Amino acid sequence: MTPLTLTDLSFTYQTKPIISHLSYHLPSGQLSLLVGPTGCGKSTLLKLMAGLLVPTSGKMSHPGMVSMMFQQAGEQFTMATARDELIFALENLQVSTSDYPKRMAKAVAFTQIGPLLDQPINTLSGGQKQRIALSILIAMDVDVLLLDEPFASVDPEGRTFLIKKLGQLRDQGKTILLSDHVLSGYETVCDHLFRFSANALKEVDTANLPALFCANQELSQWSFTLTPTSSVFELQDMTLTTGKQLLQPTQLALYQGAITLITGPNGSGKTTLFKALTKMLPYGGSLKYQQQELTKLRSKTYLTQVAQIFQTSTDQFLRVTVADELALSSNMRNAYFTPERLNQVIRHLHFDDKLDQSVYTLSGGQQKQLQLLLMLMTQHQVLLIDEPLTGLDSRAVKQMVTLMQAVHAALGQTMLIISHQIAPLAPICQYHLHFANQQLNYQEH
Amino acid sequence: MNPSLKFILILILSLAISIKMSLTANCTLIGLALCYLVAKRIPSKRLLVLLLSSLPAALTVFLTLNFFTDQPNTYVALNLSSRIYVYVSLIACLSLTTPASTFARSLEQNLHLPSKFAYGVLAALNLLPQMRDNILRIRAAGMMRGLYLSFWSPVLYFKAILLALNSAENLAWAMQTHGFKEGVSRSTIIAIPLRQKDWLEFASLLIPAMGLIVLFK
Repeated sequence: MTPLTLTDLSFTYQTKPIISHLSYHLPSGQLSLLVGPTGCGKSTLLKLMAGLLVPTSGKMSHPGMVSMMFQQAGEQFTMATARDELIFALENLQVSTSDYPKRMAKAVAFTQIGPLLDQPINTLSGGQKQRIALSILIAMDVDVLLLDEPFASVDPEGRTFLIKKLGQLRDQGKTILLSDHVLSGYETVCDHLFRFSANALKEVDTANLPALFCANQELSQWSFTLTPTSSVFELQDMTLTTGKQLLQPTQLALYQGAITLITGPNGSGKTTLFKALTKMLPYGGSLKYQQQELTKLRSKTYLTQVAQIFQTSTDQFLRVTVADELALSSNMRNAYFTPERLNQVIRHLHFDDKLDQSVYTLSGGQQKQLQLLLMLMTQHQVLLIDEPLTGLDSRAVKQMVTLMQAVHAALGQTMLIISHQIAPLAPICQYHLHFANQQLNYQEH
Repeated sequence: MNPSLKFILILILSLAISIKMSLTANCTLIGLALCYLVAKRIPSKRLLVLLLSSLPAALTVFLTLNFFTDQPNTYVALNLSSRIYVYVSLIACLSLTTPASTFARSLEQNLHLPSKFAYGVLAALNLLPQMRDNILRIRAAGMMRGLYLSFWSPVLYFKAILLALNSAENLAWAMQTHGFKEGVSRSTIIAIPLRQKDWLEFASLLIPAMGLIVLFK
């Protein structure tokens, strides 16, 4: 099969060149990884290859059917359930009524989504949505699969499962190109690794690959000791239900001034817990903040003390440009962020040349960095941080973890962090909560 | 009845009652529609919410025409306010008994509407629960940054529109990645039949209803 080839390809967004004069062959029947710093244009490149964006100049030759999986798992569905979406996709490809059951059964069995077929997609977790997205590409029998940071909101088990499945697809002759910042888990399946920077795609020598794939440090390497201090939240017989029960009656304290890491498989209810803590979702039993029942507190005052950093960065933005967002957060700036320090951080994160840019045109990683900065600037006593490292390259991860640590050292807020990326966060966390099987428990190793 | 025929029937009847005043027809249509909804086992709570939520509009029309015009006319007031209930109950006969995906398939297969339109509307409908969540989240995001956005604040809706525009672009891409191409024909895996029985039902409802509207005041 002819490989997917880009010849002298350029793409300009508004007047800003994102990709210029790029030539590249994607190896056929192989699994290639695409890495590169946050905001370098990886998503744009994948969208060009998938034919979603039209290049300003240059040529692209297609070997067959090319399709793409998005970073935001929920944004790739037209229909309300997986079954309807599969039917929609197969109808688009003019699959006949007699062929359809075979294709559907194969895709469902391969990705093991049988129990999810008729559930509303918007009630599923990120990992489950990505599994459905993959099943659709399999049912469509596409030749080239492009995946844009597909595991950003997927738990380690889900990630291992999906990587294994991608390996099997490669063995069946499919061409796969996938971008990711976390390289662990790919060592057995990756054939090529391409680094995208300075407008060029360079293949990393295979001799250097093992070092890059150094395994994500396991959580068991870190130890957490429970030395209870005063509590900021108290859960008494608290339950959480969204259609199904997520948390059985639980007694627990969340400790003041500490950074607590919350882990657990996709769909266990971690984000739902945050929703309850920000009064966006009702709960059962009792949940007290500073000895007061949450239902008795007014959102307007309560949310000036307790804030959530949402999983999707754009949910946090209220203005249009980077400068406007920074100005809004400056109104309630904390003591750590003096004007000099703020300017220094803005420069350090390279936002100084993007002040007039719309926050919606920043790359996924840059949006995440800005979102974290905006919320770390505020005077909240409690920060509920949901997946702070999504879409960030290793350098950006370091920058943001250091910033969180510095702000915490200076102000001593309570931070609760949900993350699947344990290694970079574990060193700054004092406690570890694990949410699984409707139970929320502190872990000590 | 076939969803598209049901839709056309509702459209014709709604147009007819907005041209010709007939309180008898209005009341009969409301009664029949409610009987149909009860027969289709729509929960009574849902029906009650439907009737109560249209009450302010109906009441406003009635009070204005009956008390606050130069020539108050109870018949006209009753007629126009009951018209609101005709529209609401007829639309409910379609929206509460037909899944959106079935309706979209029917529009595409039976009325030969462009599939881009049928599925675009469907995808937008699927986004609605998400939009409601978005509005709540935007309000919370505002309060977290010292910005209180009331439900009539323009900032709230400006931001909601920005998110909707973003979703619209993603939605178009999502359809494309799943093989959708504008103007290219699609196969039919789930067929929505349009049988003789549907036409008979359609005619046997339309003709008497039109008779009622035309002949009775």
